Amino acid sequence: MLENFKDFLLNGENLLFIFFSMLVIIGAVFLINLQKVVHMVIALATTFISLAGLYVLLEAEFLAFVQVLIYAGAMTILMIFGIMMTKHDRQNEEPKRPLHNGLLLLGSIGFFFIIYLAIQEAAFPIQEFTSVEENTELIGIDLFTWHVIPFELVSVLLTVAFIGAIIVAKREED
Amino acid sequence: MNLLQDLTFSSFMWFLSGAVVLLAVVLGFVTYAIYFERKVIGWIQLRKGPNRVGPLGLFQTVADVLKLLLKEDTIPRNADRFLFILAPVIAFVPAFVVLATIPYTSLLQFADLNVGLLYYFALSSISTIGILLGGWASNNKYSLLGGMRSAAQMISYEVPLVMSVVGVVLLSGSLSLNTIVEGQAGGFWQWNILPQFVGFIIFIIAAVSELNRTPFDLPEAESELVAGYHVEYSGFRFAFFMLAEYVYVYAIAALTTVLFLGGWHSPLPFLDFIPAIVWFILKFLSIVFFLFWIRATLPRIRVDHLMSLGWKVLLPLALVNIFVTTIVIELIKYFK
Repeated sequence: MLENFKDFLLNGENLLFIFFSMLVIIGAVFLINLQKVVHMVIALATTFISLAGLYVLLEAEFLAFVQVLIYAGAMTILMIFGIMMTKHDRQNEEPKRPLHNGLLLLGSIGFFFIIYLAIQEAAFPIQEFTSVEENTELIGIDLFTWHVIPFELVSVLLTVAFIGAIIVAKREED
Repeated sequence: MNLLQDLTFSSFMWFLSGAVVLLAVVLGFVTYAIYFERKVIGWIQLRKGPNRVGPLGLFQTVADVLKLLLKEDTIPRNADRFLFILAPVIAFVPAFVVLATIPYTSLLQFADLNVGLLYYFALSSISTIGILLGGWASNNKYSLLGGMRSAAQMISYEVPLVMSVVGVVLLSGSLSLNTIVEGQAGGFWQWNILPQFVGFIIFIIAAVSELNRTPFDLPEAESELVAGYHVEYSGFRFAFFMLAEYVYVYAIAALTTVLFLGGWHSPLPFLDFIPAIVWFILKFLSIVFFLFWIRATLPRIRVDHLMSLGWKVLLPLALVNIFVTTIVIELIKYFK
């Protein structure tokens, strides 16, 4: 049992996996618990960037950097903008509810045990994974040959949303 | 060295020592880039520039940095303390991290990612968060306005910046910076600047704007905003913001060299006996000089002009550039 742990921890890749997955979870927990909205967005950005780290570990570089570009870059900035334009006074502290918390603890422990047992039972067949050097190119080829119609539909949808947003904004201006 | 190789302790130490050397080189560059910027602007404006500290004023920047480090570190009482401290770090770290994929010669490169170009643009967009947070956390209306302007400008110009390099990607068929340079071997007529001249112009304009430098330095327009997003910063935190800005100058100059000026290749084939790194440094330094030159000679443009230039001129031009490049490539393929 302990030998397994030792082997697991001696591999640098596994250490990185632990590091990134911890950051993902910590970011998510802080997102829920923090009081100020801007702090929450920073916690969310931590989660996004650590997810990109996990993608890099899975050798999906393209996905990883698109994740950083869109979620960590664009989405986070959009949210910060939205928050800054509005006023946020600190909300009142939530009333303490000991019964609630006790039940929550009980539920969490029960959930943990169910999941734990399920994982113990489950079998994970190991699949051969051959990583390809030019996976970005393959994504491109796949997207523009086999999935070209969904791709075009999505672009039409985005254009419609874009024009719609402009029209709604214009109407308010008048 | 490959970024995706097995991570062991020895390879980790290798990366660490390489990164420390790079940091030293970049800090040296920044020190003397600031010195030469002041000298060059001085000469252009018929002044002498810094000439007191050390021979020819060579230690001026060192003295300035020493002053910044010794300064009292002030944090406004009503500032958001945590974010105020975090913001310079968020702004600086991506600036340094993007340097990892820049190929200096065919051998001297930290990581040959097959999505190197995407990596650069993805990580550099994180710096904007740092600037925006710095402006917000200071709890000062001028710094908030500066941060807002900066973020709006960086987002608007990132779009044409990324679009302008799509032509280069189409020509070389790869997002890897190494492959892009390999495709430009054999004389200056092979460089991407010739077939992608429109892309090059858009790239330079958008890059100057991304760097928040004159004529696009609206985020720190002294006459309107006191100093911009870093009004409340002093001492080494302020130095970090400045450092991030100059590391981006380094990064953009290196990226322009790689994408449009043929990287480490010599302009004429018979000049190949000169080492590749010398060519890279020469091209790199001429881009840096160009940035100083336009800073010294152009006035700042107005904020509404800035936005309409980005969205109404550069973006459509970049799209047309992509379209025309694609058609030409397909025609060449068809007639071959």
